[in-house]
Amino acid sequence: MHISDGVLPVSVTIGGYVVSGMLVAWSARKSASRELPKLAVMTAAFFVASLIHIPLGPTSVHLLIPGLTGAILGPSAFLSIALGLLLQSLLFQFGGLTALGANALMMGLPALVCGWLFQKFKGRSGVRPAVIGGLIGSLGTTMAAIMLSLLLMSGGEDFLGVAKMALAAHLPVIIIEGVVSAFTIGFLIRVKPELLQPFSINSSDSAHE
Amino acid sequence: MSDVTSITMPLWQLPVIILLPIASVAALMALLRRISLIQSAPEEERDWSVPPFDDGAGTSLLHTWDVRCKIVTILIHSFVVASLIHLKPAICAVALSLTILAISRVSLVKVVMRLVAITGFISMFLIIMPFSAPIHHGDTVLIFGNMGWASFNLRGVLLAVTIAAKAVAITLLMEPLLSTAPLPVTLYGLSRLGVPEMVSQMVLLSYRYLHVFRHEASRMSSGMKVRGFRKQSDMATLHAVANFLGMLFVRSFERTERVFDAMRARGYRGSFPDPVELSLRGRDLILTGVWLTAATLLILFDRILL
Repeated sequence: MHISDGVLPVSVTIGGYVVSGMLVAWSARKSASRELPKLAVMTAAFFVASLIHIPLGPTSVHLLIPGLTGAILGPSAFLSIALGLLLQSLLFQFGGLTALGANALMMGLPALVCGWLFQKFKGRSGVRPAVIGGLIGSLGTTMAAIMLSLLLMSGGEDFLGVAKMALAAHLPVIIIEGVVSAFTIGFLIRVKPELLQPFSINSSDSAHE
Repeated sequence: MSDVTSITMPLWQLPVIILLPIASVAALMALLRRISLIQSAPEEERDWSVPPFDDGAGTSLLHTWDVRCKIVTILIHSFVVASLIHLKPAICAVALSLTILAISRVSLVKVVMRLVAITGFISMFLIIMPFSAPIHHGDTVLIFGNMGWASFNLRGVLLAVTIAAKAVAITLLMEPLLSTAPLPVTLYGLSRLGVPEMVSQMVLLSYRYLHVFRHEASRMSSGMKVRGFRKQSDMATLHAVANFLGMLFVRSFERTERVFDAMRARGYRGSFPDPVELSLRGRDLILTGVWLTAATLLILFDRILL
């Protein structure tokens, strides 16, 4: 779920922009500046991944993948997510332009935490990376859902009911996201493990020098 | 709680007063969605799932407005609208947005698609808030029959409708903002306003490769369909989707290398050529002034008169 315009108090939207802006700057500094075009291309891939719908009974859910983004991009994930959300807002109106800062925080902070946790605990081989991947996949979505509720609650007690509902709506996604992340990480470990190395987007650079 | 006005209604009025409006809004939205689908229906194989930005051709007041003034004005105006508290100014903001929509003559189909996109999130407020808003002094509450547990708070309705009006007012302005100039020009305007040039470059690159990867994804998914894959709610589907994602990331990652090499081979040194020459004229500033005056009036109306 992306927060649309006119929902959050203006202080929260502006605060969201300020904090996101600082994190984007930090994230950009962490990625070598000549690598940013590559990061933009990777962002397009994550964007497409988040458009995939998975059937769930009569309805369907789409993946949020903050956990996977964090695991693959590391500290660059925040920049990538902010960019992806900007595009989503501009193209589809998913998430309002005034709420962009808040939306970036909601998805980007979980990605940073998950990326860090994944690098810390992923281990070397076997099923361990996949299990950790599944856990951070669920964790990323859980954190995003909690951030969403907290942001909604900043509107005052009248928003409490909606915030609870939004949190509950994420429960099935949390489970699906965990399973899919585990399988995806398992796939990447077998097929292209260097994608899961820290700063993988930068490390390929040495070949050009 | 003593000064809460509670109006008890017979139970049969519940569908009439509450469910009927909800159902009609839902029906209207379904209709709009159908219209936008039919309008954009493919004569040949035309893909609207990632809507293209307009080429920005046109001669309206907004098309010829300096792009920097346009960005600054519409952004400030959007934040002003987002900060409104009362319903009346929010409705005035919707009226103002509709006027601007009429002046800018942008594609209404895309405006409708944007409205459809926010319906899900906004209807969550419209449906839940009347029931969940805590009851304060001076509230009017509708209670249906003996369903005392489900009190329908009119203050919640007012709040949700105000939110919806603000969201609609801002959403209506997005097409006038984005479709009245080509995307590279809008982004160039942004970078001339002090946003680092890398931001607009990254937006352009992602936007361009978005379509490439979407085609890649659709090729991969037709391959899966040919091999007999059908999406269901089961573990096998999740496994297949996960492998699909993994493959998408691997292919994209390999492509980033080739893209970057190709850019460097064409002389990329960290910047793209400027798309246009921007010049600020008096009328650009006048339009900005008029619009921001309207925004100021809105906020004065909201905070002082009400």
